[in-house]
Amino acid sequence: MAIAPATTRPFGPAAGRLARRHAWTGAVVLFFVLLLAWNASQTRNFGAFEIQTLLASTLPLAYLAMAQSVVVIGGGIDLSVGAMLVLVNCLSARFMEGTDLGGSLLVAAGCLAVATALGALTGLVITVSRIPDIIVTLAASFVWGGAALFVLHTPGGGTSTGFQALVLGSGSAWWPALLCLLAPLLLVWVPLRRSRTGIAVYALGSDRNAAYLSGVDPLRTRVVAYAVDGLLCGLAGLATTAFTAGGSPQSTIAMNATLNSVAAIVLGGVALSGGVGGLIGPVFAVWSLYLIPNIMLGLGVDPSYGEVVKGVVVVLVVMAGGLLRARRTRAP
Amino acid sequence: MALRSVDLAVERGEIHGLVGANGAGKSTLVKILSGVLGPDAGVVEVAGRAVKLRSPAHARASGLAPVFQDPAFAPDLTVAENLRLTGTDQGAFRRRVGELGLDGVELGEPAGSLPLPLLRMLDLARVLAHDPALLLLDEITAALPADYADRVFAAIRQAREEGRSVLFISHRLLEVQEICDRVTVLRDGRNVDTYRTTEGKEQRIVASMLGERAALAVTDPQRAARTSHAQPGEPALRVRGLSDGHRVRDVSLSLARGEVLGITGLEGQGQDELFAILAGDRRASGGEIVADGRRLAARHPHDAIRRGLTLVPSDRWQALLPQRSVRENLAIAHYNAPAGWGWINLDRERRQVAEAIGRLSIDTRAQAQARRLSGGNQQKVAIGRWLVGGFTTLLCFDPTRGIDVGTKHQIYDLFRELAAAGRSVLMFTSELREVPLACDRVLVLYDGRIVAELAAADADEATLLGAAHGLAEALTES
Repeated sequence: MAIAPATTRPFGPAAGRLARRHAWTGAVVLFFVLLLAWNASQTRNFGAFEIQTLLASTLPLAYLAMAQSVVVIGGGIDLSVGAMLVLVNCLSARFMEGTDLGGSLLVAAGCLAVATALGALTGLVITVSRIPDIIVTLAASFVWGGAALFVLHTPGGGTSTGFQALVLGSGSAWWPALLCLLAPLLLVWVPLRRSRTGIAVYALGSDRNAAYLSGVDPLRTRVVAYAVDGLLCGLAGLATTAFTAGGSPQSTIAMNATLNSVAAIVLGGVALSGGVGGLIGPVFAVWSLYLIPNIMLGLGVDPSYGEVVKGVVVVLVVMAGGLLRARRTRAP
Repeated sequence: MALRSVDLAVERGEIHGLVGANGAGKSTLVKILSGVLGPDAGVVEVAGRAVKLRSPAHARASGLAPVFQDPAFAPDLTVAENLRLTGTDQGAFRRRVGELGLDGVELGEPAGSLPLPLLRMLDLARVLAHDPALLLLDEITAALPADYADRVFAAIRQAREEGRSVLFISHRLLEVQEICDRVTVLRDGRNVDTYRTTEGKEQRIVASMLGERAALAVTDPQRAARTSHAQPGEPALRVRGLSDGHRVRDVSLSLARGEVLGITGLEGQGQDELFAILAGDRRASGGEIVADGRRLAARHPHDAIRRGLTLVPSDRWQALLPQRSVRENLAIAHYNAPAGWGWINLDRERRQVAEAIGRLSIDTRAQAQARRLSGGNQQKVAIGRWLVGGFTTLLCFDPTRGIDVGTKHQIYDLFRELAAAGRSVLMFTSELREVPLACDRVLVLYDGRIVAELAAADADEATLLGAAHGLAEALTES
């Protein structure tokens, strides 16, 4: 249907609004479907303890998916999110060992500052050097990974139990983890999204040229996006420290985390081409990806199949979204 | 090096036209004035003060406001968000939108879902809302429906009343002559002529635009004595009752061998969809297409191309492989040949490509990458591809959009030549004045239907414009 893409845009007005504004609802629906399946497959019913487990164990990846979303919405991609998580994990585990809650919080604040600064630096290098994001962040992932080994040679370190309880909650107290998840959303993302800089991030991802002609400063915008990305990666690292009560410099953790963050944003309705999406869809997508292996386990299937099913679900959901959009555009 | 040395003075409260053949440096000049590019040398002064334009935002703050051919709207943002991006006051914007006579603009709509002509109007409204000292309008009327164009002219005149200056760039010389106070002509990156429109006619523009080539390229605009090459017998393309259940309604037409048939209409009358269906890029819900005496039910452009029905889209970027060479761009359609296995016959390919380059006089200085060609040469490559690949009926959608006069005439001449050789051309054009120059016959599309059919000789601008506005019934009945 494309003679002139300029006049015949890929989306009709109504379908476009639906597809653009509600791409993330797919992940929410998927999550609740999986939740029902999970409930049916388990002997215990869903309760506060399960909520706490879900929130606490997905907290690192949820932060990471949010971090990746910010960058991808701005038209880039960050392959170093996992390595940044590992770096902050190692940093915080090394310096939190043997501290009390106050000391741990001090270390946490320091780690977040470092992560934010490194993120901003990445954005600066990308814009000034004009080297594509994918290459700069790939290189950055090696640097962060190496630095993590420098900080912590072998898995180890520790944290205070107070810090763990504060971040993750304990027993069936699920609200601390939820609050920790919502904090950056409410304190950083919502104000940013409503500011001119936030709109500029979307504009830059949507159409770089139009954004530039509209007066968007690409340097400033990209640095802000990558700084927020760094901050969220830092939170992911701290959450990992709280969850594992230590640090681990293994590069496989970094790689897995990065790839999962990309899967989550795609599932969560963020367009890889930029300019479309939000941070809530990817979080629901992370929860969904977490539930799948658990359902397998509950059904008595070898959990290794969980990864296979995860992959299939990602493709199916994205495909279903594409088909729905295509149908809406073909029959307006 | 698109721009060598340009001196240009736009007075306060003046509409100043800027014209030149493709590659004369108009776009580069606009880019410098709007802060996109920095000049290597020279000064820009606004109201007597020298300014160094660092960025588009800075240029706007200095009172220079551009409207480009591609509106500067981020497609995924709503109109309101786009306004915030440029720091535009919504109230002022709404007022300007009202002045342009556009009603019911939904600010919460993503910009990408609005039609391009409307978006360009909104861009103009946004620029006006900033109360600029100088409006830079780069080809704003290209492919703009006639009713919108009139509103643009009214807005430009009003801006002059308000004491603003306007730099108006257009390929439509009549338009320039009509609306501008003075005109500056660029050639090869230099300003070669500036005159008051009360003192000269559009022939003067063409002459200075083309320099010594003028005598060659400009032929009698009416070509009254042209002969039709249409052959009797089975038409090359016959369409009966074609509909898509939406924009195209019961379209029937017949294109003889050796005929150049024009289709015209305002923006959004179903022409995009009609051409997409004919090219096999969109399904019809009813009616039939008969190509070369056999029914065609194309599921894919490939099917249409195999039956000799080839499309040159309006957007050149859609046709070309921008990073590849001119040779590859011309030869690509050739790779469809039935003997698709084995080695590509490079000798034959080279010969045919060289022939197409010669026939279309494509400027091959930048042949390593098609994206570095000028717009006119890109269009020639998009057409030339089918000269190499072979076709029976060429579907051309606005083939001369944003192209200079000289190249336009070359394209018209090519169509006449093709017709003489027994090929058929079906072209859509949004520029009514080019109908009698290129076509034997013209159909007018209105609301998805063909409402008028005229011979080239009768297809003057007023008649076509009337029909395009749905005033055709009275005309055909009388």
